Amino acid sequence: MASNEKKILGVKEDTFRMMMGKYGIGIILIGMVIVISIIKPRFIQPSNLLNILTQISINGLIAYGMCLAITTGGIDLTVGAQLALVSCILGQLVGEMGMNIGLACLIGLLATTAFGLLNGILIAKFNMFPFVVTLSTQLIVRGIAQVISDGQAVSLANANFKAIYSDRFAGIPLPIIYLAVVVIIMYILMHWTKFGRYVYAVGGNVNAAIASGVNVVKTKTLCYTIVGLLSGMAGIIFTSKTGAAQSNIGVGYETDAIAACVLGGTSFAGGISTASGVLLGSIIIGCIYNGMNFLGIDSYYQSMAKGIIIICAVLLDMVMNRKNR
Amino acid sequence: MAENYILECSGISKTFGGTQALKEVELHIRPGEVHALLGENGAGKSTLMKCIIGLYKPDKGAMTWCQKPYQAHGPVDAINQGISMIHQELNPEPHLTIAESIFLKRESTRGFLLDKKAQNKRAEEVLKKFNFPYGPKTLMKDLTLAQVQMIEIIKAVSCDAKLIIMDEPTSSLDSEETRHLFQTINDLKSKGVAIIYISHRMEEIFEICDRVSVFRDGTYVSSRDMEGVTKDELISMMVGRNIENVFPKTDCKIGKPVFRVEHLCGKGFTDISFEVRQGEILGISGLVGSGRSETVRAIFGLDPIISGKMYLDGEEIKIKNPQDAIRRGICMVNEDRKEFGLCLQRSIRENISLPNLPKKQRGLLLRQKKERQECEDAAKTLTVKCASIEHTALSLSGGNQQKVVLAKWIMANPKVLILDEPTRGVDVGAKSDIHALMCKFAAKGMAVIMISSELPEVMGMSDRILIYHEGRLNGSIDRSEIITGNTTQEEILKREFGGK
Amino acid sequence: MKLKKVLGIALATTVLLGVTACSSSEPAKTGNSDAAGGDVNGDGEIIIGYIAKNTTDPQPSTINSSASEQLDKLKADGVIDDWTGIMDGLSDANKQVDLAQDCIAQGCDYVIITPAEAVASDPAITNLVDAGVKVVVVNAKTDSTDDVAMTFCGSDDVYAGELMAEYLNEKLPDGGKYLHCQGVIGNSAQIQRAEGITNKLNDNFECIAEVPCEWSGEKAVNATHDALAQYGKDLTAVICDNDDMSAAAQLTCNESGREDIICIGVDGNAGAMGMIQEGTLDATVLQDSIGQITAAIDAIVADINGETVEKEYLVPFVIVTAENVDEYATE
Repeated sequence: MASNEKKILGVKEDTFRMMMGKYGIGIILIGMVIVISIIKPRFIQPSNLLNILTQISINGLIAYGMCLAITTGGIDLTVGAQLALVSCILGQLVGEMGMNIGLACLIGLLATTAFGLLNGILIAKFNMFPFVVTLSTQLIVRGIAQVISDGQAVSLANANFKAIYSDRFAGIPLPIIYLAVVVIIMYILMHWTKFGRYVYAVGGNVNAAIASGVNVVKTKTLCYTIVGLLSGMAGIIFTSKTGAAQSNIGVGYETDAIAACVLGGTSFAGGISTASGVLLGSIIIGCIYNGMNFLGIDSYYQSMAKGIIIICAVLLDMVMNRKNR
Repeated sequence: MAENYILECSGISKTFGGTQALKEVELHIRPGEVHALLGENGAGKSTLMKCIIGLYKPDKGAMTWCQKPYQAHGPVDAINQGISMIHQELNPEPHLTIAESIFLKRESTRGFLLDKKAQNKRAEEVLKKFNFPYGPKTLMKDLTLAQVQMIEIIKAVSCDAKLIIMDEPTSSLDSEETRHLFQTINDLKSKGVAIIYISHRMEEIFEICDRVSVFRDGTYVSSRDMEGVTKDELISMMVGRNIENVFPKTDCKIGKPVFRVEHLCGKGFTDISFEVRQGEILGISGLVGSGRSETVRAIFGLDPIISGKMYLDGEEIKIKNPQDAIRRGICMVNEDRKEFGLCLQRSIRENISLPNLPKKQRGLLLRQKKERQECEDAAKTLTVKCASIEHTALSLSGGNQQKVVLAKWIMANPKVLILDEPTRGVDVGAKSDIHALMCKFAAKGMAVIMISSELPEVMGMSDRILIYHEGRLNGSIDRSEIITGNTTQEEILKREFGGK
Repeated sequence: MKLKKVLGIALATTVLLGVTACSSSEPAKTGNSDAAGGDVNGDGEIIIGYIAKNTTDPQPSTINSSASEQLDKLKADGVIDDWTGIMDGLSDANKQVDLAQDCIAQGCDYVIITPAEAVASDPAITNLVDAGVKVVVVNAKTDSTDDVAMTFCGSDDVYAGELMAEYLNEKLPDGGKYLHCQGVIGNSAQIQRAEGITNKLNDNFECIAEVPCEWSGEKAVNATHDALAQYGKDLTAVICDNDDMSAAAQLTCNESGREDIICIGVDGNAGAMGMIQEGTLDATVLQDSIGQITAAIDAIVADINGETVEKEYLVPFVIVTAENVDEYATE
């Protein structure tokens, strides 16, 4: 055993692999930041860093939900439509009827959570494929949003409502605070609770989870319900940010969320993910958008670059974890 | 060497991890003979067959095929060289037609396109040769198991196989279908095709086979012509050894009855009644597929129970799922460790505490420090060899993985602990560790139910042995009878084969 | 473990730095808004930001490539120091708001934006203006464009709808049944063009269906097929919110031997113009995209030179038919 151990950068190969597997994504992020900053020093300006964190808040929230779904071995494609649903509900309640903002947000969240629950029940209880279920409910949810809004955009110029996005607390934009709170809660949920362990067990080996007395139906249902809640929250931020309620928003938002998860080391085979990884993944996606704009890279190439970076990150992850697979 | 063998295997050895599955075994097959392969579960028959069809590469030894050195690179290569295997568990592609199934991976083509017409025609010809009742366009899913098997044989013949390996071909056939199969085998024989016939059913071996080779514990015992050999001789060749006291079974106080089942019926077992007491190790013995695992799976709530009653501490209980079982203190180590035992990608700690999490919470949060401590202790008690309990379960050897599975159930402190093949795929050292642990659990007052395919293990470890034959109990034997030598391995084996 | 901590600390410090520096750097931005020579934010450079609606649809692409050409030339001539390149809004107001922040962070003095949405893209413009950036809105207005933008260069989509309606009134005095292929629902162009159509279309026209076709010709083909199958001879016209759809709808009608059906749309794409020249398509409402972006860039140059800039440059829509097509079909 000991004779054929190779050393990389002064550490044992195994340890090196483990470190890279765990923290490789952080190293990629730091590398990216350094390179962009050297070319465009303005990038590293604190105001721009804060700007990036603000920008990733919506994708970050969705990505945390997506991460739960992927960890159980599934996926949730409804997230984009959920944004539209909550947006249209807010448009009607706040924009048209002038309802109390807090109450309206609560109703919006209830609606998206209910659809999350529906996804969960269909997937867990009736054993349907997550891809098929959420592909279909996504259509239903967007349809409902269109019915509610009648296809019209409603202006939500109400200053109090816009403050949800644009206000600052102790100099920090509120969206960053929301994201921070969600990151902390999700970290606790995923790594410090029974539920989190069950999620990993269900995703890791569903048969072993059943044979260990895990209630798979309950666990999966709760996961998708949380996805619904988080996408509802993202939808509120989105609506406040654009000051408009409409039904065509959020198309394709699942892509960035999935990308953030994958970059953060979430395995599509299920059972592997970390709360910190998803945050790093979201930040990387944010840096790609923002950094490429700083570098003045043509938008066609941005799209390609995003794809290449994701593939490279996943490849790195696989190479580093090869021994464990 | 004087004899003209079509397949010769000599000195084949194969090791998996620390377990030596084959030790310099021999097998010589003549052209056109039906050659039986006999041995207990785990005697090395399947391993040798997998070496022949190229699924495994032997560590040592040489094979010749038609007098030429031979080594297949996988089943497809073996088929091309003229060796086909018909597996015990057939996995037909349900949506393929018969023709597609027969010509899978060697389709008739015209350019890049499939030539379905030509393929169906070719299939029809071969089907006719075998008097098969369906046409080439019938879907595989519409066939019975026997017919699927027949298609496999037809497929082998249509590949010009000179040697067909049949692993337990009659296990899922009724007597009529078996008759038909034997007829086919005789036809093949007359065409000069050699057949290796693996079966547990003595009567069949006597009926259809010309010669037999017996294996035991990964070694080759001997080969005999079927003429002039008796069933008892074969059985003693299979067993061949004395049970030494290699098992650390300690006698512990056997207390009051804990768990009882009455007339339990389910898929694969009928009318099973037994009872197990505190501190008792109840061994269950039987051939693979005799309904042993099916029974305990049903007791643990993994499979449904059709009828019958279960009692725990004298009270009738209903178990709908493993949660019910665990809550009541019935825990089970599954025979398939990878599929039902562990989340291999997760850490040892998470695996150990998975069924015990409800006890490790303070409010909504887990007490991770306490959990880590307890898991470390459990790993130490069960002598799990690992650098850290934070490593993945995947990084452990089979034996240590099994200890992790045991650890998680011991932490649950069960009243009844069911162990299905607890030492399968485990090296010798870990095996005796696990045996010692079993005694320790029994001494603590747990009721232990152990299933094992290794007769010496069952006989060495159990206070009482239940013997299964084709889904039913076929007798029970007390430890005293074994110790006094009143009951021998041969007798248990006879019962497993249906004798009285 | 160690590395994890280091990473954590690194992240935490960046965030903290951001907070402290952000509050201190803010006032600097609004301070020098009246600096001469076009250096609006007073950082010694004139930088123009360009936020596109998207980079995939024909009409925004026309605007983008013309903008890119003209801005490169300005940079070469030394009128401006740099421009950001085309930032892709992906037809998403949320992305445009983010891009506006990126422009601010990059120290842009002027930003040209083609809004994706009338309402939802508005914060992009107000945020830029709040940060002291001069904004030129092109092609479509947002809610507060009139109040805060330096200038608007575009055309009135209601008028485009009215032009279509008037053309149909003239060509089909008897009216009849018509199909309406809509753009992406909720988009300002879609809403306003529809408004124009209802404003002017004669009462003897009956709308059989309003189909959301998302600006896509392929979806318009399906809708047209359905309408032909259902209403046959009664169908007299297909009104589309853009040319991709009208050209596709017309081809579908022609294939079914219904050259008499009048399909009309807005934009004046090369494809539609070509069809009018061939005589396969009756008419389109030309949106002079290049005129719009040219007006926008001219306005910025004027501002840099210290000249006065109008609040609004309206580039008119023109109805293009076989008679005047050669006049407008350039390139």
